Amino acid sequence: MRRRAGALLAALAWLAAPPAQADDVDLIPQAVRQGAPAAPAATERAAKLNLENALSVWSLRDPVVSIPGGTSVDARNRTSVELRGRWRLGKSVELHLSDRASAIEQNDFSFPSSRTWRNDWREGYLTWEPAPREYLEAGRINLRNGVALGFNPTDFFKTRSLVDQSSQDPSALRENRLGTFMLRGQRIWDGGSASLAWAPKLYSPTPIETGLPAAGLRARLDRTNGASRLLASASFELGDLAPQLLVYHEGGVTRLGLNLSRTAGKSVVLYGEWAGGRYPNLITRALAYGRETGTLPAGVPGVLPAASGDEFQNDLALGFSWTGAAKLTLNAEYLYHQAGMTREDWRRWFATGSANAGSLAATGALWYIRAFAADQQEPATREQLFLRAAWSDAFVPHLELSGFALVNLYDRSRLVQLGARYDLSERWTLGAYLGANLGAAESERGSLPQANSAVLQALYYF
Amino acid sequence: MRFAMRSIPVFLLLMTSFSAMAQSSAQDIVAASDKVRNPGQPFRVTSTLQEYVGGQPRDRVVLTVYAREDAATRQFKNLVRYVDPPRDRGKMVLLDGTRMWFYDPASKVSIRISAQQRLMGQASNGDVMTVNLARDYRATLAGEETVTDADRQARECWHLVLAAATEDAVYSKIDYWVERSSNRPVKGKYYSDSGRLLKIAYFRAFREELGTARPTETIIIDAVDPNQVTTLNSSDYRFETIPEAWFQREFLPRLKVE
Repeated sequence: MRRRAGALLAALAWLAAPPAQADDVDLIPQAVRQGAPAAPAATERAAKLNLENALSVWSLRDPVVSIPGGTSVDARNRTSVELRGRWRLGKSVELHLSDRASAIEQNDFSFPSSRTWRNDWREGYLTWEPAPREYLEAGRINLRNGVALGFNPTDFFKTRSLVDQSSQDPSALRENRLGTFMLRGQRIWDGGSASLAWAPKLYSPTPIETGLPAAGLRARLDRTNGASRLLASASFELGDLAPQLLVYHEGGVTRLGLNLSRTAGKSVVLYGEWAGGRYPNLITRALAYGRETGTLPAGVPGVLPAASGDEFQNDLALGFSWTGAAKLTLNAEYLYHQAGMTREDWRRWFATGSANAGSLAATGALWYIRAFAADQQEPATREQLFLRAAWSDAFVPHLELSGFALVNLYDRSRLVQLGARYDLSERWTLGAYLGANLGAAESERGSLPQANSAVLQALYYF
Repeated sequence: MRFAMRSIPVFLLLMTSFSAMAQSSAQDIVAASDKVRNPGQPFRVTSTLQEYVGGQPRDRVVLTVYAREDAATRQFKNLVRYVDPPRDRGKMVLLDGTRMWFYDPASKVSIRISAQQRLMGQASNGDVMTVNLARDYRATLAGEETVTDADRQARECWHLVLAAATEDAVYSKIDYWVERSSNRPVKGKYYSDSGRLLKIAYFRAFREELGTARPTETIIIDAVDPNQVTTLNSSDYRFETIPEAWFQREFLPRLKVE
C-alpha cells in the first residue's frame, strides 16, 4: 500500500511538474547540437587589403547655363587596390598607411594612357606614444571631426580632399579622401581628451580640378597643404551630451566649433554640430581663389553682387537618427551654411547665365563658383535638408538597401540616390547605386549636366 | 546580498526547494549567475560568432571584447573590436550604458548609436556575455522547472522572470533559467519592449576560465526567424589592465592591434 501511495505521489508530482522545455532545443541545428568543431579563431592582421571594380555611367543633358568646354564624360570604369594598415615598429611607435591605386578607363581618353593610372595616397604617418595615452604624430593624417552625416561644419580638414567615389552618399565620401600633412599631439585621460594639430603650408594654392578628378600618381599635397592650419580640440563628458569643442585657424581666420549628441530613449540619437567665424561668403572666396590661381582672368568682373568683406558665418547641422526593430535606420538633418548661396543668389546666378550665354568668361565664372564649393566640400546652398534611410538584412540576410536625398530648401531640387549592397560571402560584396539630380532646369540640381547615374560595384576583401 | 551558490554548505542544498527559495532571493540567484559568466576584474576575451542559416554554417565573425566592470554602477563597459571577416576588420563598438559609439577606420569617424542600433550588429551578441543582469533587471522567481539544456540533458532550474529596471537594460524582459545546484545559466529568452520574443540563448560547454567554470559556448536562436542560429564561442580569456580612459569615443582609434 505504501509502495502504491509512493508511486501515485510520484505520478502526481510528475504531472504537476512543468514539462521539460524541449521545444526550443529542437530549434538548434543538428550541426550545432553535435558540437561541430568551430573554425579556428582568426588572429588580427595589421593590414586590410581589398580589390574593387566600379563601373559608372551617366546620362547627360544640356544645362540651362552652358559649361565652357562642356561635359563629355559619360562612362568610367575604375579598378582599384586598396590598402589600409597599421604596424608596430617598436614598443611605442606605429606606422599607419592608407593608399588606393587605380586603373581608370574613361570614354574621353584612350586606354592605356598617361591618364589611366591614378594613386591616392591617403595617409602615411608615424605615431609615438611616449607615455600611456599620450600621442605624437607626424605625416599625412586624415583628421575628421563631426557627428552629422550630410554636412560636417567642424570637419575643417575636408577641403580639397575629395577623390573618386562609387557612392555619392556623404558617408561614403569620407572613406576616400586625402589626409593632410601635419604634426599632431593628443592626450586622453579619464573622461576626456585634448588634441592639437598643425598643418604647414607646403605649396602655394593650385587650381582646382573641375569635373571628375584627374588621374595621376602625384601625392597632391598641394591640395591639402596649400595653407597653414591649426586645430585645437577638446572632448569631455557632460551628462549624456558628449561635447567636443574646437578652435580652428587658417589664413588669419579663426573659427569655433562644437559637437553635441545624446540618446533619447532606446531608438533615437539627437545630434548637433556648429561652426562659426568671420570670413567672406562662398561667391567672394570662389572668385578670389579663381583669380589667385589663374583659372579666372585677374580682370574678370564679379558676376554676382557678392559681399566683399568678412561677415560672421554660421554653419549648422541639426539632426536625429531613429532605428526600428526591423533594422531600419532613418536620419533627418537640417543643414545651414550661411556662406552658401541664398535664394536671391541662385536667381541672379541663372539670370546672369541667361543674359551672358555667349560669354565664356561669365559662364565660366558662374560654374567656377559651384566647382569651388564642391572642391571645398561645402554646400553651394545656404539651406538644405538631408534625409537618409538604411535597411539592414532587408528581405534577406546581408542585403542592405539604402537611399538618401539632399534637398535644396529654396528650389526643392535634390540629389537622390538609391543603393543596394549585398555581402555575397565573407569576402565578396556587390553594390549597385542609382543616382539622379532632380529639379527644374533653373534649379541647383536640375541645372547640372549629369541627369542620372548608375554604378555597379564589386569588392573583394583579402 | 550577493553570494555564489556554490559557497552554500552542502546540507542546505539538500533542503527542500521551498526553504532554499526563502534563503536566496531571485535577485541573488541572478547575481550569482552573473558571476559564473563574468570575472570580477577587467578582462579580455575572444568571441567567435558562427552563424547558421537553415542549419548550414554561413558567416563567421570574430570579435575581441575588452570588458571592465564599472565600480559605481556594477555594469560592464565593453570595447568590441572586429577581427574577422576581412570587410569589417578594425571596426569598433564602444558600449557603456547609454554612451554607445561605432567607429569605422575607413571613414575615421565615430558615430553615436542607439540601443536599438546596438541590437542590429553582431556586437550585441558579442557582449551578451558581459552583462550584469542583476544590475539592470528586477528578478522574480517564477518557479522551479526541469529544462532541457543544449546537450539535451535535463537540468533542475530556477525559472526567473527579469524585468528591465534601468534605462541601460537592452531587453524589456528576460525569461531566465539558472541551474539550482550550480547557479550556472542554462537558458534565456529575451523580449523587446513590445513583448516580442527576440532571442533564445542556451549556455553550454562550461570550462574553467579565469578561476571559475564558465559557459564557453552560447547558442543564440533568432526567435523572429528561427532559421537563423548563432553560436558564440568564448576563448582566450585573459585578465588585462583596462584603464577607465579607454571607454570614450576618442580612444577608439587608439586601441592597439595585438
